Amino acid sequence: MQVSTKWLKDYIDIDLTADELAEKFTLAGIPVENVIHAGEGLEKVVTGRIEELKAHPDSDHLQICQMNVGEENLLQIVTGASNVAEGQVVPVALVGANLPCGKKISKGKMRGVASNGMLCSANELNLEIENLPEEQKVGIYILPEDTPVGVPAAKVLGLDDDILEFELTANRGDCFSVIGLVRELAVLTKKNPRFPEIEVDEDDEREAKDLVKIGISAPDLCGRFSARVLSNVKLAPSPEWMVKRLEGAGMRAINNVVDVTNFVMLEMGQPLHAYDFDEVKGHELTARRAVEYELLHTLDDTNRLAKGGELVIADAEKAAGLAGIMGGFETEITEKTSTVILEAASFNSASIRRTSRAVGIHSEASGRFERGTNEKGTIAALNRVAQLLQDMGACNVCKGVVDVYPDPKPEIKIKFTPAQINARLGTNFSDAEIVEVLELLGFEVETVGGIDELTDDVVDKISAFAKTIGNSVRNLSKKSSVEDMMKNLGSTVGGLVKNTDLKISSAYEVTVPDWRNDVKLPEDLSEEVARIFGFDTIPSTLPKGNQQGRQSATQNFIDKIKNILSGLGMCEELSFAFTSEAMFNKMRVPADSPLRQAVPIMNPLTDEAPLLRTTLLASIFENAARNFSRKNEDVRLFEVAPVFIPKNLPVTELPHEKQKLAGLLMGRREPKGWSQNSAQVDFYDAKGIVEEFLSGLSIGNYFVEAGEHFALHPGKTAVFKKGRDILVTVGEVHPAVAEALGIKKKIYVFEADVETLKKFAAKKFTLESLPKYPSISRDLAILVNHDVAAGDVEKVIAKSGGQFFKGVTLFDVYTGERISVDKKSLAFAIEFRSKERTLKDEEADEAFKNILAAVEKEFGAALRS
Amino acid sequence: MEQKIKELRKRAGDAIKNSASNLKELDEVRVKFLGKKGELTGLLRGMSQLSAEERPKIGKIVNEARAEIEQLIAEKNSQLKAAELQKKLASEKIDVTLPGRKVHDGHLHPLTLTLNRVKEIFMSMGYSVEEGPEVETDYYNFEALNLPKDHPARDMQDSFYITEEILLRTQTSPVQARTMERHKNSEPIRIIAPGRVYRRDDYDASHSPMFTQVEGLVIDKGISFADLKGTLEDFSKKIFGEKTKIRLRPSFFPFTEPSAEVDVSCVMCHGEGCKVCQGTGWLEILGAGMVHPDVLKMSGYDPEKVSGFAFGMGIERIAMLSYGLDDMRLLYDNDVRFLKQF
Repeated sequence: MQVSTKWLKDYIDIDLTADELAEKFTLAGIPVENVIHAGEGLEKVVTGRIEELKAHPDSDHLQICQMNVGEENLLQIVTGASNVAEGQVVPVALVGANLPCGKKISKGKMRGVASNGMLCSANELNLEIENLPEEQKVGIYILPEDTPVGVPAAKVLGLDDDILEFELTANRGDCFSVIGLVRELAVLTKKNPRFPEIEVDEDDEREAKDLVKIGISAPDLCGRFSARVLSNVKLAPSPEWMVKRLEGAGMRAINNVVDVTNFVMLEMGQPLHAYDFDEVKGHELTARRAVEYELLHTLDDTNRLAKGGELVIADAEKAAGLAGIMGGFETEITEKTSTVILEAASFNSASIRRTSRAVGIHSEASGRFERGTNEKGTIAALNRVAQLLQDMGACNVCKGVVDVYPDPKPEIKIKFTPAQINARLGTNFSDAEIVEVLELLGFEVETVGGIDELTDDVVDKISAFAKTIGNSVRNLSKKSSVEDMMKNLGSTVGGLVKNTDLKISSAYEVTVPDWRNDVKLPEDLSEEVARIFGFDTIPSTLPKGNQQGRQSATQNFIDKIKNILSGLGMCEELSFAFTSEAMFNKMRVPADSPLRQAVPIMNPLTDEAPLLRTTLLASIFENAARNFSRKNEDVRLFEVAPVFIPKNLPVTELPHEKQKLAGLLMGRREPKGWSQNSAQVDFYDAKGIVEEFLSGLSIGNYFVEAGEHFALHPGKTAVFKKGRDILVTVGEVHPAVAEALGIKKKIYVFEADVETLKKFAAKKFTLESLPKYPSISRDLAILVNHDVAAGDVEKVIAKSGGQFFKGVTLFDVYTGERISVDKKSLAFAIEFRSKERTLKDEEADEAFKNILAAVEKEFGAALRS
Repeated sequence: MEQKIKELRKRAGDAIKNSASNLKELDEVRVKFLGKKGELTGLLRGMSQLSAEERPKIGKIVNEARAEIEQLIAEKNSQLKAAELQKKLASEKIDVTLPGRKVHDGHLHPLTLTLNRVKEIFMSMGYSVEEGPEVETDYYNFEALNLPKDHPARDMQDSFYITEEILLRTQTSPVQARTMERHKNSEPIRIIAPGRVYRRDDYDASHSPMFTQVEGLVIDKGISFADLKGTLEDFSKKIFGEKTKIRLRPSFFPFTEPSAEVDVSCVMCHGEGCKVCQGTGWLEILGAGMVHPDVLKMSGYDPEKVSGFAFGMGIERIAMLSYGLDDMRLLYDNDVRFLKQF
């Protein structure tokens, strides 16, 4: 909705600028999105008369003008234009003007003669005037001789009409009209509006009801259908004033009949449609549902096929238009039209909204029906159209209105107490203030007395409350009136209502004006009161009482994960939850993997992201690839986020959402620096991060074994396990996956399920006390076959180490020329200690012997000499 | 004898002073005079030839001489050690302007940092943190919030649908409805619900198909619009600074009545008007209002007994204002050069 300020001022006397109006509207809940200043750049341009004209002494084309611009002294301006003469009134740009053409006017001298301004051409003012002589376009624009001097040029040029562009909220259909906006303005400025008086002279003897038949066969979609018949219609251009108003509202003038229906729609908010009486078959119009595949020939000369169920207005033979959205082609008003059926109807907003979206037409009319029009206003709108056309001498009006209104909308009545409103708002408005605002807004307000009876129980509650505020309530009995009670309590009834369950104050009942279809409840009334007084008048308080705020254990755990990993040098990423088949292919997800069973989005943003991810690796891979393509080759990322696992496909219920952790490392082991080498991360760097991470979560006693994962290197994948539960999978990304991602580097990733981690994270902190007695260490260096896993050897060492075994650390792995090709050397430091006493060397030796025997037996290990 | 000792003392003194230029030479001097076969020891051996009267006298002189020489050696010793240390330290001088050895520095995402601040502020005000699913039913996302099908306000939020009845939540408000349903008998509620939400917006400098929202909900006896205003004022000051002002503009949301859009005074120009606030001095950061009685009823609360307020804000917007970002896409690009700055 856009409207010119002049149109608003036709109906109300206000002295506010467009910007002031915009602010007033916006702060009352009728948002103005934009103000278009029509006279922009003309702020310092006034009208002036050339009182005296002299040739410039030092120039053959400059002239010196003495200008009367309505000031005491004449203003001297030098001009280079030749079409000027004494006595002419012309636009004068004063010093400081910043013209639409971009010129800035300042004090100056032209060939030694002072010049304090500039006489303006039409071009310099950006004026587009038809049939203007060329000399006035580039020379000086000459105004009529009787133009007053010293007034803003914008006003004289009719360029003072600023436009307000509204972005109305969905609930305020009533403000989709000039009159609706003026009503609001009247309340906000406490001025009386002047709405047009609507009178129709029914000067055609024929009765409308004898000429046309109107019917509603879909009363759920069409609540009311009113019509008038206009005869002797003479199509002509609309008068200038109407063209200006329509243009200000962003509509183009077409002819008087169309323009007047548009004008009235803008003015009153009721869309109208004019049918050519002679083209309406059977002279009858019915609001009915379209049948499937019914052909609709709309006035844009497009044939459309109905889906079935859309509301159409049909004549005796076929549909003559999509109700409320676009009229029909055949019944459109043309040069030949002499009689018009004028429709003003009320259509179901949801139905209009659906159809309008389906056919992709959003018209001024459909926008109004979608927000809801005033069912009670149809006849007034018809009359207003008839009146305006009659005033233009464009038609006669047949007698009567044909009005089909099967189920008139009942009046809405709401009971409320000012205390209730004050309690909701936290304010202390008086009864009178509240009633005044509602009455100004068009609500009829009636007093209906107190709500709660003053039972003994109520009196007790009031007395107790009175004590808390240091007031004593005297002489309060069942017979007391609400007024007595208020007197007793002072002005704290609001507090009383807030602190007890009582609703005690005067009560009122309002009748909602028929144009306000958004007000139904006392809560709606509180909004009316608040927005008219202004939200800035509402005090600031805090909710009473104090609770303890907390996070859930899982939220705390996720925070901990993030803190540990960022502490280990990883950067947190956040990525979209979308993925695609293409990504699954790149990741080598097997065709039969459940991970392929992803939740599809019906209307994805792009074809590249039509699925919800089932693995967080998809996201972290994408981010690694993006970084690599930007030459960020040293990357350490992690993310904690949900994946979506459907319970069934096609989806019929909400999928499982599982919080997952993914981490990724690639590039240098140490950041680039003068003393750091350029070694790249390997499997053991990633594994080290995972180990530190688990230790940070106090997860211990897990075991690690070789694992398998479709996206990982088959020989460089490990799983951290606890029983059957997998804590973490870590490995080198499969070279085929890295290649598909376009990453020419080794990549290492790890993945974990947050709930599983949480299950095993120590709930309690346990402190291991420092040893009282010294430990004994023995080094074990053995030769084993290449394929023996160090982890397995450690397990055997631990198992065979006896009661004093405390721990084992692998400190050297050697393969090379000094030993045979199929062997490797492992060196362990094994620690023994007793809790009760200092261990003897012999005891350690004994345990060591057992260990050696066990690894010899288990792995065919030989002690390395 | 006395003369001999005197002469020896002088020679020793000179030797310590002049000929011992390092610790090794000093030790040679010590051995020469004080060692087992040293000169002074040799003199002592000659004591036996002295008379009983002379012996104590000479003995005293010898001991004095020994003490004096030892003293001189000790002094020289510490002098030489200091000099040697000095020399060693001088030889160890390094270029301290070389950069320190870098370590990998990890960082939390700016949205996590911002959300953590928001959570901390509200937890300190007594709010608990609730969460809900990102894939939601139409019922919780819309209907339970007073947005029936065909409600024009649904146009405000273009949604990603999974089925007709299941969609990616467009707001974290469904957590409100779920929390209210869980609380029975009109128990008081004071929660925030942070989380990812999805809208079918094009991906540009100020829109993203996925973003982060924090929703707040307070329900109790006697909660008023003034409480909402005070709460948001308090929050705004805590997150944007003490001087921050707020402005509430009436608006429309189907789930609140009255409803407001909330502006804060521009964090860049403090209300003077600048590029960030497009000259208005205000920045819109929040939507809020008093919970609509129908919403309370639908989730089992009695609007006659309790009232409440709700608010919702975008964490991206707050992060962008806090860190001076002008393009939302930076937040989801995950470029490590960006992530490492927080």
